[in-house]
Amino acid sequence: MISFSQVNKWYGDYHALVNITAEVKQGEVVVVCGPSGSGKSTLIRTVNRLEEIQSGELNFNGQQVHSPMSSQQLNKLRSQVGFVFQSFNLFPHMSVVENITFSPMRVAGLSKSQAHDKAMALLERVGLAHKAQAYPAQLSGGQQQRVAIARALAMEPPAMLFDEPTSALDPEMVGEVLAVMRSLAHDGMTMMCVTHEMGFAREVADRVWFMDDGSILEKAEPEAFFKNPQHPRAQRFLSDLRAH
Amino acid sequence: MNDLISILSDNWLLLLVGQYPSGPLGGLACTLMLSVLGITLAFPLSVLIALARISRYAFLRWPASALVYGARGIPLLLIILWVYFLVPMLIGRNISGFTTMVVTLVIYEAAFLAEIVRAGIEALPKGQMEAARALGHSYLGAMFYVILPQALYNMLPSMLSQFVSTIKETTLGYVINVHELTFAASQVNNQLLTKPFHVFFILAVIYFVVCWSLTQAAEWLERRIATKRLGTNTQRAKTSSSGLPVDSQPARPLT
Repeated sequence: MISFSQVNKWYGDYHALVNITAEVKQGEVVVVCGPSGSGKSTLIRTVNRLEEIQSGELNFNGQQVHSPMSSQQLNKLRSQVGFVFQSFNLFPHMSVVENITFSPMRVAGLSKSQAHDKAMALLERVGLAHKAQAYPAQLSGGQQQRVAIARALAMEPPAMLFDEPTSALDPEMVGEVLAVMRSLAHDGMTMMCVTHEMGFAREVADRVWFMDDGSILEKAEPEAFFKNPQHPRAQRFLSDLRAH
Repeated sequence: MNDLISILSDNWLLLLVGQYPSGPLGGLACTLMLSVLGITLAFPLSVLIALARISRYAFLRWPASALVYGARGIPLLLIILWVYFLVPMLIGRNISGFTTMVVTLVIYEAAFLAEIVRAGIEALPKGQMEAARALGHSYLGAMFYVILPQALYNMLPSMLSQFVSTIKETTLGYVINVHELTFAASQVNNQLLTKPFHVFFILAVIYFVVCWSLTQAAEWLERRIATKRLGTNTQRAKTSSSGLPVDSQPARPLT
């Protein structure tokens, strides 16, 4: 579904992504973890080309993401990648339901009533149907992030990307967002998640990628990764996590 | 004081509407019309200039920047004189002082408003544009439906301040015989001859009252918008006695 092959990215002299070769298969949940500045967010943002790459290939659902293409083609491709941001990025001047219907109507060409029905079904699923008419400023962080997930799902993406979806949340709201993500995973959604929630990784992920300094140092099943990490850097990372 | 009152009571109509209906509309009415026309026609233009200023295409960026720097660096009076003398030469016929003034104000205010709009766009979090692009919206689509509505709303107070400046700038129409408020006051002064201080004091008070009220309105708007912005994230989810958010029903499985 998502495959990286020899992907490299530089910011000036800084080598941000180093020879990334990896694959997220259909229906798989991959958790990307690693210390701050290791390139996790940069990696996930290359998938819908919020970040450009300088060499290598990135294939999403059969399409070469970083090949030359018209802006219309790129917009179409992006509309097929569900993306959830750390900072939610809901549109504050639109109500919750408008946030969700906006893109299906303007990008996918759904009618207003179709888009509305779909939005309400999605809000029901994330447990926020009663907030349809509220504005983002009236919601808690956890609620906003659940709306953001519903907004991404409204485009019916074949895969969902999560860029630290719970990092901006108060601790008591992390659970409600993870619950939504867990239910997506159980339903067979292909997911790539950058997260520090190791409990989630352990329970939901099919594979864990450990990154540092722009490279994927270890790819493993969660059980193996948490019990018996191979790479010394991963061992240190996990023991630092356990220390508190 | 009596002088002031008698000047006002003798000339209030002239100060308000000029010689209208027997002559052209003038006085305060003309001043307000010039300002409103100037700023409303300048507004759409200013959005285009702002978009050009932040465009990634140099051929759009350059002329827009040149216009903005020009308006910043050249006194308004000079631009008025240019339009007044140059435009008739270019189009081969005379244009009225009123038209000259409107054209000049539109160009000048568009340049200044454009900087306000640009600041408004650049003040928004980058994530807004990214989120819209990630959902598949085009750059212009995202700009039009996501960025501009927020930026323009936040910039309302600054725009109102710019409108106040515009009102004061219309006084320069006096030099090309536009029958606005200052022109009307000087007509009154020419009739009376002996009371320039009184006449121009009245003039100053009228400008002050109009501009001060609008400035107050701008400040009120600013406070309102600031409170509205503070509303973000302050309202937390209500928690039930068990400490769990009341609305966190378990998410339903996908069907």
